[in-house]
Amino acid sequence: MKKNQVKSQFVAVASIAAELSDVMNVAKEISLAAANAKAIAFRAGEKAKGFQPITDFINELAKDTINLVNSINLQAVKLYQLTVNEHKMTAASNQFSKVTSLTENAAYASSMNISQEQAEQRKMECRREFQSHVDQLLEQLASVMHPARAARVIAANSRIEASQAGEYLQSLQAVAESVDNAALVIHSNVQRCRTALSIINFSD
Amino acid sequence: MKMTKIYEGSYQWLMFGRDDNKPEKIIDTNQYVVRTGSRCLVIDPGGVELFAPMLAAVLHHAPVEEITDLFASHQDPDIISSLGLWDQALPNAKLHASGLWEGFIRHFGCETIEYVPIQDNGGVINLERVELQVIPAHYMHASANFNIYDPNAKILMSGDIGAALEEPGAPVFVDNFDEHVEKMRFFHQRWMPSNQAKRFWIDRVRDLDIDILAPQHGRMFKGDDVKRFLDWFDALQVGIAV
Ligand SMILES: [Fe+2]
Ligand SMILES: [Fe+2]
Repeated sequence: MKKNQVKSQFVAVASIAAELSDVMNVAKEISLAAANAKAIAFRAGEKAKGFQPITDFINELAKDTINLVNSINLQAVKLYQLTVNEHKMTAASNQFSKVTSLTENAAYASSMNISQEQAEQRKMECRREFQSHVDQLLEQLASVMHPARAARVIAANSRIEASQAGEYLQSLQAVAESVDNAALVIHSNVQRCRTALSIINFSD
Repeated sequence: MKMTKIYEGSYQWLMFGRDDNKPEKIIDTNQYVVRTGSRCLVIDPGGVELFAPMLAAVLHHAPVEEITDLFASHQDPDIISSLGLWDQALPNAKLHASGLWEGFIRHFGCETIEYVPIQDNGGVINLERVELQVIPAHYMHASANFNIYDPNAKILMSGDIGAALEEPGAPVFVDNFDEHVEKMRFFHQRWMPSNQAKRFWIDRVRDLDIDILAPQHGRMFKGDDVKRFLDWFDALQVGIAV
């Protein structure tokens, strides 16, 4: 790996972690919005009958998102460790080549052969492991998009239901609005994660 | 990397230093190697930049599988930041270093190398039939710090004690003590924190029979210059920054 590439890999992995913690916060907001909506719908009683099951949906979606992001976070930590390892292995194998070039006439130069081969192998292994983790992470990120998309559909339904709710119209509409916004934010954060990851993936 | 043999008997002491390719802003260091029949101890192996030239230099004298021991007098980067690379190069090696510094030194990378913690009161390192004494030199300058003394070769590897900041390519032995003093004064006054610790160390070291005092920077002291150094250091006030 070239120096800049290593740098951009570290930055990419770190920025994924940052995006994910934003997604987490937004998911928690949704879950709060769901609780609010439930309370309002309860007070509205008959007028917001259609809205009540929707609040449960919203809550489920928030929970799903939180769980997914938790497991993605673990994966991102692993990815960071792999980046550190790969960086170490690359440094070692570069240094070992330097040793070789400096020891042309040293009596025991060849004793380094095994260590050098091993360093080279470990480097390749790290690279492979990194790639396969990136692929897994991309899949997981795609799966976060599902609840986010569903949330947008639910938000649209909520608006319709809210319009039947008389004096509760405004507060229910606000709930729909915030779910919709949250879904958009998650969508764009996850999209940025995926872009960052695919840049690393294609850079070698 | 220049090599100087400083003891030759049934085993050898080698000094490595004055590396021509050293980046400019990095302090020049001396590395020492004790080579017995089938083992090899590298004392204060050096910074990460020095790893390749240092290992390459050692490979003239020993194969990697016989580099069985590393010693770090303390935790500084110029002493041991190369550890992570040695860790991947040496198939069976131990690192002897202060137990107090273990959690710090491991930051440099220590997975295959076995960390052998040295207790505060020192100990010994056995290389086949050679027994090296690990002499406590705490607060000189690091809070946990050790020297290596070889009673047979009469060499004291003193770490940062006796260090001097030299021009590149300076000779390896002090040849004019009075002139040399100015290259050591500030280093010792500023880096050594405690007159009490200094007193303790000098009392202990005066009892040792020393031919060569071998610091990690600058020149080595030989014969009468060893005593001159101890007398000079004895009279010096240290810990001047407060
Ligand atoms: Fe030091
Ligand atoms: Fe030093």
